[in-house]
Amino acid sequence: MNFLIFKKLTRFSFLLLILSAFSALTCQVALADGVVVDKVYHPYVLPNEQEFEWRMLSHQNDAGNSLGQRIAYGKSITDNVMIEFYIVGERDKDGDFGLSAYEVETRWMMTDQGEYWADWGLSLEVEKVHELDIWEVTTGLLFEKEFGRDSLALNAFLIYESGSDIKNEFETEFRLQYRYRWLPQVQPAIEIYIGQDYTGIGPTFMGIQRFDGQKQLKWELGFITGLNGDDKDHILRASIEYEF
Amino acid sequence: MSLFSVKLMQSVIVFFALLSFASLANRPEFEVELKNHLFYPAEIEIPANTKVKLVIYNRDTTPEEFDSFDLNREKVIFPQKKSVIFIGPLPPGRYKFFGEFNPNSAQGTIIVVPKKSVADTNIETLALVYTAPLAANSLLLKEVLHVN
Repeated sequence: MNFLIFKKLTRFSFLLLILSAFSALTCQVALADGVVVDKVYHPYVLPNEQEFEWRMLSHQNDAGNSLGQRIAYGKSITDNVMIEFYIVGERDKDGDFGLSAYEVETRWMMTDQGEYWADWGLSLEVEKVHELDIWEVTTGLLFEKEFGRDSLALNAFLIYESGSDIKNEFETEFRLQYRYRWLPQVQPAIEIYIGQDYTGIGPTFMGIQRFDGQKQLKWELGFITGLNGDDKDHILRASIEYEF
Repeated sequence: MSLFSVKLMQSVIVFFALLSFASLANRPEFEVELKNHLFYPAEIEIPANTKVKLVIYNRDTTPEEFDSFDLNREKVIFPQKKSVIFIGPLPPGRYKFFGEFNPNSAQGTIIVVPKKSVADTNIETLALVYTAPLAANSLLLKEVLHVN
């Protein structure tokens, strides 16, 4: 019994250590100019996998509501590398929804799931803003660790923004997701997003519904609240991913 | 980004990397075959609280995807190839798995049992078990030949 309590305390202390390390890390760094809240990545890739993805993000704060959506197609090109192409759309200040950016993303599963103490992956994204000379190159370290039926995923991104329409600079972003794998279709989680001028936390629900063969539908729905002192700062994020 | 942040970031990454890639030697290994879209054996006993290596040989001519929500594992096994899946450490219990392409036939269960109950698959122990009688037989044979 005492051993179990010790194990739980150790696990809790360990999580606190990770959280404090990443919080300390982000307290003096700059955030990407875009919205930090997006999606917490997992460091896994399956061979022969293709997917269509839709993501939506609605941000409500004192300035009003902004809406972003993206659609993507992804395909694993080797046993452990996946490439994904995005088209990003946003509602502008006049209320018109239109194309805002294009993006190419690759994810590399560096270790087999469960092979080591934790699982690692890397991501590389290149984004170009539509009709503006703004480029964003992002490299990310993806981490995941299982604790029984719980999973902790951490993403650390280093972003370089450049172009004649933006100040060239390095920025960082951190994302955390602590998930309880309750049922395949319903898995509650807590997510934290950290960057310059923004720290957000909130509950997220996700799940997976399997069909024939490799066909499966993944969904995520999160409600992230900003902790920056604004009276109102809420983000509703949703995503649907069809893998086949 | 401040120097402190950079150093802290480096330390955290190095710490996790060292922890992650620390060798976990002597992982017990278990083998499973996939034939005619069936797993053999369909039930595998593994020790509790131990990380194990499950080697799956796909003898079929079609690919299969090992899938288990209980084990939190998903892995494609190409035809006529083998694939390695790392499982655990897990508490005692039954953990179901199946083949995504043939979910009605390709089914199995990992049974995690307390360490003492598991059939000992340690190679040294197996070597002792099998070579001791062989050695004894050999000595007996020599003695018989010598006498004759």
